Amino acid sequence: MSRLIKFGMMAALAAIALVPLAPRHARAAEMTPAQQKRQMFRRGAQLWPIYCNTCHNARPGGEFSPTEWNMIIMHMRTQANLPPQDANAILEYLKASR
Amino acid sequence: MRRWLARVGALTAAAVLIAATAPIIMADDLTVTRGAGDGGVAREREIRDIKSEIHRLEQRVDQLENENGQLKKSNAELKQNADKLQTSTTQQLSEIQSRASAPPSPADFMDAMNRFLGRYRFTLVGGAAGSYIYDRKSNTNTFALDLEPIILWQLSDKLLFEGTIEANLPAGSSADYQLPVADFQYFLNDYAELVMGIFDQPFGDWYEDQSPFWVNRFITAPLPYNVGSLIPPTEVGLQLRGGFQWGEMGQVADYTIWSGNGPGYTNATCGSNTPPSPLPDCSTTTALVGDTLVSDNNIRLNTHSPGFGGRFRVYPLPADSNFGRLELGASTFDGKWLDGFWLTSWGVDFNYFRDNLQARGEWIQTYRQMPQGLGADNRQGWYVQAGYFLTGLQVPLLPSELDQYIDRLEPLIRYSGINQRATVLGNVITTPGIGFTGSPALYAPHAREVAVGLDYWFAPSIVWQNELDLELPRAGGFYSDTGQAVGAYPNDRAFVSQFAVGF
Ligand code: HEC
Repeated sequence: MSRLIKFGMMAALAAIALVPLAPRHARAAEMTPAQQKRQMFRRGAQLWPIYCNTCHNARPGGEFSPTEWNMIIMHMRTQANLPPQDANAILEYLKASR
Repeated sequence: MRRWLARVGALTAAAVLIAATAPIIMADDLTVTRGAGDGGVAREREIRDIKSEIHRLEQRVDQLENENGQLKKSNAELKQNADKLQTSTTQQLSEIQSRASAPPSPADFMDAMNRFLGRYRFTLVGGAAGSYIYDRKSNTNTFALDLEPIILWQLSDKLLFEGTIEANLPAGSSADYQLPVADFQYFLNDYAELVMGIFDQPFGDWYEDQSPFWVNRFITAPLPYNVGSLIPPTEVGLQLRGGFQWGEMGQVADYTIWSGNGPGYTNATCGSNTPPSPLPDCSTTTALVGDTLVSDNNIRLNTHSPGFGGRFRVYPLPADSNFGRLELGASTFDGKWLDGFWLTSWGVDFNYFRDNLQARGEWIQTYRQMPQGLGADNRQGWYVQAGYFLTGLQVPLLPSELDQYIDRLEPLIRYSGINQRATVLGNVITTPGIGFTGSPALYAPHAREVAVGLDYWFAPSIVWQNELDLELPRAGGFYSDTGQAVGAYPNDRAFVSQFAVGF
């Protein structure tokens, strides 16, 4: 019985997670690409020392090439279940701070 | 060249013409002087004509000579250019040859590989560690080495392959290779991702997030994930996972649900289980209380039913709060280990960090249903640990040159323990390895350990770690294969020093 409850809870959580719950982002359409990039960089710079220090010491942008960072951030998005807007912002920050 | 020859020919012809006409003219002159009078005017005109013709021819010769000189000059220039071209070509050729015969740098190789693969790209990451291990009780004094490269292969914007190969040097044999992780990670949308293959067990904080050499602050695993592990380390199957922001920036939550082959236990060989053991005669059963979980990918032919798991994490503090970062997690993992017999488990964990301080801990409870008469095989495990970077610490009376070294130090402390009714004496292996001291005290049914550590960080993923383990097992419990009471287990002490790199 407790197993059923547990599975039910997990399924419910998954269902909740699958419903687009994310906060409305700043209206990206109204910004120029350069402004969007700058905004992402700022968000990434703020999140990198927090998110990327949670499990291990944060690795700086200079350690990898932009192509490598693309793959590593995909890897870390899985590892840490990062919301994509945060993962992309951190990626932007890492590439720009090389 | 031909044209040049033709011109020289013309020039020679002109010279011959002049030479031939000269005596005639001179003779004519004589005749003129001599025979003046009859038809003199006509002759004079003729002579003038001839003279002007000679003059014209002389001019032509001059012109041709001039042209000839220019041709010679440009010919010499051409030759010079050709020589120059040849030397520079030879030089370039030899450069190309030497470049071709030199080994490519890793970056060149990766570039070439990426060009070869087109838009498919891969990168090599992972870790390596070398340890010195000393354990008093098992009289261990040895070195160990382990390499765990990870290949990341990006097949598209949404699909990534991850493969980890582990190569280590177990005692008394040559290198041993394992494939602890090989899976595809496919991003379905912003909130869900599918993972398929062999993966680290997503239960708890340890296997997936803390076990790599350079990630673990300590060298060894805390007791609930050590030799008496409560949860199988890997799983073959399918995961659905994702994360989302529920509040302000940094206030996120995430989930992982998975299904796989489920748990399995090693079949212990049974000894003589003599009364007054509280356990039944083990020669009549294949299962024992205290069996160890199978660790190798759980690939089993006798899969009784799939296992299921779920993990949920939440980060209650916003990114710009001054209270640091807090992570709270809960996990469950359930599966039949034998027809109709379940292993059920749950766990909670936390992780907190702020500035130089990081603390984490977990509590795990498992229930294993046993065939009739064998009694319960339930286990508990926990650990709490804390580390503090000495960055910025001002030590009085110490020369300031030492500050840069002190900044890199991280002292650590960890307390961990497990409780179970019995363990299997036949499963006790004291051969040390990377992250394992070989201490027999780790197998005690009521093992307790205090670990103190001192890490020196050269870089965010390069560390020299030192760890002292104090094994302080509590009395109680049985060996289920021999039926003996474990009684008071002797304390033990171990020291490990390790150099670990994440690349
Ligand atoms: C949930 C824990 C966790 C978080 C959060 C996390 N990492 Fe990792 N990271 C790991 C683990 C574990 C590894 C070791 C690789 C493995 O075992 O798969 C790793 C490895 C890496 C590596 C080595 C290359 C690789 O792909 O293995 C880099 C670089 C890295 N992380 C960067 C980051 C960055 C940047 C962030 C911030 C977005 C981040 N990590 C957040 C757990 C985490």
